[in-house]
Amino acid sequence: MDITREIYWNVGHGVVLPMYLFAALTLVILIYGFVRRIRVYRQGKRLQRLDRLPKRILRLVNRGIGQLRVMLVKAPGIAHALQFWGILLLFIGTVLVLIQVDFTEPLFDFQFLKGTFYQVFSLTLDLAGFVVFIMLVAFGVRRYFYKPKGLATTRDDYIIYGLLTLILLTGFLVEGARMAVTEVASRPDLTALSPVGLLVARPLAGLDESVVRQIHVLTWWTHFFLVMTIIALVPFTKFRHIFTTPVNYLFADLREKGAIDTLNLEAADADHFGAAAVADLTWKDIFDADACTSCKRCQDRCPAWNTDKPLSPMKVVQQIGEVAFGRPQANLIETVTTDVLWACTTCYACQEICPADIEHVNKILEMRRHLVLMQGEFPGGEVQTAVNNTEVNGNPFGLAYASRGDWAEGLDVQRMADGGKVDVLYFAGCYASFDKRNQSVAQNFIRICNAAGIKVGILGKEEKCCGEPVRKLGNEYLYQMVAAENIKQFKAYGVSRIVTTCPHCFNTLGRNYRDLGLEVEVEHYTVFLERLIREGALHLNPQEFDFTYHDSCYIGRYKGIIKEPRQIMHQAGGSITEMAKSKNESFCCGGGGGRVLAEEKLGRRINVERVKMAEATGAPMLVSNCPFCLTMFEDGIKTGGSEGKLKVRDLAEIIGERIAQK
Amino acid sequence: MKILVCIKHVPDMESRFRVNEAGNWYDERDLAFRLNEYDEFAVEQAVRVKEQLGGAADITILSIGPDRVIEAVKKGLAMGGDRGVHIKDDLVYQKDPWQVASVIAAFARDKNFDLVFTGMQSQDRGSAQIGAAAAELLDYACITTLVSFEISGDVVTARRELEGGMRGAVRFKLPAVVTCQLGLNTPRYPTLPNIMKAKQKELLTFPIADFLNVESLAETEKMYPPERKGRGLVLEGDVNELADKLASILKEKAPALR
Repeated sequence: MDITREIYWNVGHGVVLPMYLFAALTLVILIYGFVRRIRVYRQGKRLQRLDRLPKRILRLVNRGIGQLRVMLVKAPGIAHALQFWGILLLFIGTVLVLIQVDFTEPLFDFQFLKGTFYQVFSLTLDLAGFVVFIMLVAFGVRRYFYKPKGLATTRDDYIIYGLLTLILLTGFLVEGARMAVTEVASRPDLTALSPVGLLVARPLAGLDESVVRQIHVLTWWTHFFLVMTIIALVPFTKFRHIFTTPVNYLFADLREKGAIDTLNLEAADADHFGAAAVADLTWKDIFDADACTSCKRCQDRCPAWNTDKPLSPMKVVQQIGEVAFGRPQANLIETVTTDVLWACTTCYACQEICPADIEHVNKILEMRRHLVLMQGEFPGGEVQTAVNNTEVNGNPFGLAYASRGDWAEGLDVQRMADGGKVDVLYFAGCYASFDKRNQSVAQNFIRICNAAGIKVGILGKEEKCCGEPVRKLGNEYLYQMVAAENIKQFKAYGVSRIVTTCPHCFNTLGRNYRDLGLEVEVEHYTVFLERLIREGALHLNPQEFDFTYHDSCYIGRYKGIIKEPRQIMHQAGGSITEMAKSKNESFCCGGGGGRVLAEEKLGRRINVERVKMAEATGAPMLVSNCPFCLTMFEDGIKTGGSEGKLKVRDLAEIIGERIAQK
Repeated sequence: MKILVCIKHVPDMESRFRVNEAGNWYDERDLAFRLNEYDEFAVEQAVRVKEQLGGAADITILSIGPDRVIEAVKKGLAMGGDRGVHIKDDLVYQKDPWQVASVIAAFARDKNFDLVFTGMQSQDRGSAQIGAAAAELLDYACITTLVSFEISGDVVTARRELEGGMRGAVRFKLPAVVTCQLGLNTPRYPTLPNIMKAKQKELLTFPIADFLNVESLAETEKMYPPERKGRGLVLEGDVNELADKLASILKEKAPALR
């Protein structure tokens, strides 16, 4: 006997015509729905996102089919992946049936759903259906009974859950009815290939065959129309993400993490900067809203949201969609609100976790650009003062630019203006230059380099703010101004290698200055020191200490420098106790995105929150690698009442105290 | 309405000042310059008047000094001025306030300005005489140290800041010279399109000789940092200890508490 089943059993080949007619209608609705949406995406500015296509396709396969991003959050991620793969298998199975019965069989008299292949096919689909059903139950329980904080349930969720559940149930009913008549009594070998279907088939087998046949026809059509309904509804509900999210992997920003468009401020037609309306954004920014699945993973990790500030990265992305689709002429900034825009620390936690490759940070930046460049608005007077100070004195504190190199008094460093060859240029940055607490980082760094026999140069009063804080606040003009001056100095001195102790300077000089014509090797001191130790140039005299380590956003998440600092601390004698939120999941100190210059007026304080996390490890010392973090934590320890319980040190200070003389 | 705003390009007060070689002014090396803070209030108020009049005003921004002052003029233009005037004088620091006011008056005399705004004083010299002297020379009303300004027709209602936390309310008719004090307004941050437009705006340059027709009445003889007397004292310890220490120091050093 053949190992197969009769396709169109009980419903007959007469269903083919109406079935295809309805399928065609469904497809028309589906396409119509997306065409309407594409028209909305096209309100945005042009942007090329199909270069390096093989890389993009690979990304689509890994992240879409492979579900690698979704599974970054274990429990719901794996459940989603199982459900996705299950539905994908059921879809492929259905297409296989269609190919055989309506194409290869009538045209070439060729059947492939038989024998071993049929056995695999039957068992796979039966189990896939079961997995999808179990996951639906699990998701239902999660969404409607045990509800995670922040998970919003909308009309779409009811529709999709309802339809998917009904499709699964009717599917098993169709299978069970067919098996009850054709397999239960006569073909136990086949029923073994559909163990779940058999559970439905057994009770049906006791009924009169004509009743079962009627049930079958009825549920067959019901199942069919339910499937057509859900397909037709794809563009009109959240279920659209089965297209838009994978497509978003294809359209991903393949530039280096943290890349920002460098505006051409001198362009003849440049009279409008930043984004105040959806038309000022790109089509991809609008498309992102459609790719969002409301999984709220970004919101869960947002330091602003977690300290009772109004910013939810998810909401910002969705509001762009709401405006684009509902009120395209509306003022986007008024919809999102300035409080939301100024709350962002550009920590990148949202983008790092997003399973849909949505780009949150640059959207916020574009709107900030509009506020600053077109309206002269800042989060507060103190920020405007800091910006003015940066303009006049090249540092946000407004301290005399001529005293910028004073911290190096008495140290063995070469001022570039005095001439002489150096191994590296140390770009100290504003905080290490002027801030009393951070000057110790610069001084320690020089001592370490001296011990390793590295000749270090500094620009001193010829150095200016790298421009990062003001740029992240939206002031592209001032950023380009200070950047041009710094680049001029680097070029004048023929600088070929730069080391920074500030992650913000590091990211800016090494990545963003490239757009402005600087092609110089830039390193952060964590990587630089790790190599000096590894290559034997720097010898440490380890002394034991317990600590917890804060991955600054711009070293950890943006640059992936996670191992090196831990390695150095280990070699210095440190025993680490990790915080719950560390490495790629580190929680911002609150100082990024120019926020270090702003008062934190809304919600609880981010730095105190992070200091508490460090304190919870029981370690007496918090080590960081960033002047903003050091400043924020010193403040957080004082204002949060952690004095005496926790000290914050910079990695350079720890190493500086443990230099072994050769 | 024709408005003149007189501004000065001054060193940032956080700069590291050194006396120049001649010993009569500061050395300009290593100084960062900016628009005099009080003059920024003056520019802002002028632009607000223009906005209130729906644009029916013409604002001239005037500065006297070496080429670097053009930077301050550009800032004024970016904030909303219509044209810049640079009266070039590399040795402006040697001119006394009377001469500077005379230059301004000579420039303004035949131009029928309705309103002249300037800062209450410059942050570097701080003579606070320019506005008043120029008003006298032009035979305009003069109202100094404004902290509020409202104009209706050709009548201005304003408040002045007086010593000892007092305020004075004044009403006067145009033409007038007014000098602006901290608290009058919050100067705007120029928008990028306005910064770009400012680069295209008219900028007239004149040599100082065109307008200078008086001798100086006072000369700066010597410039020197004051002698350092006594030093700050930093107390450390816990709060109770600090309070005791502070109390004993006050008892010892402050005669009023004895």
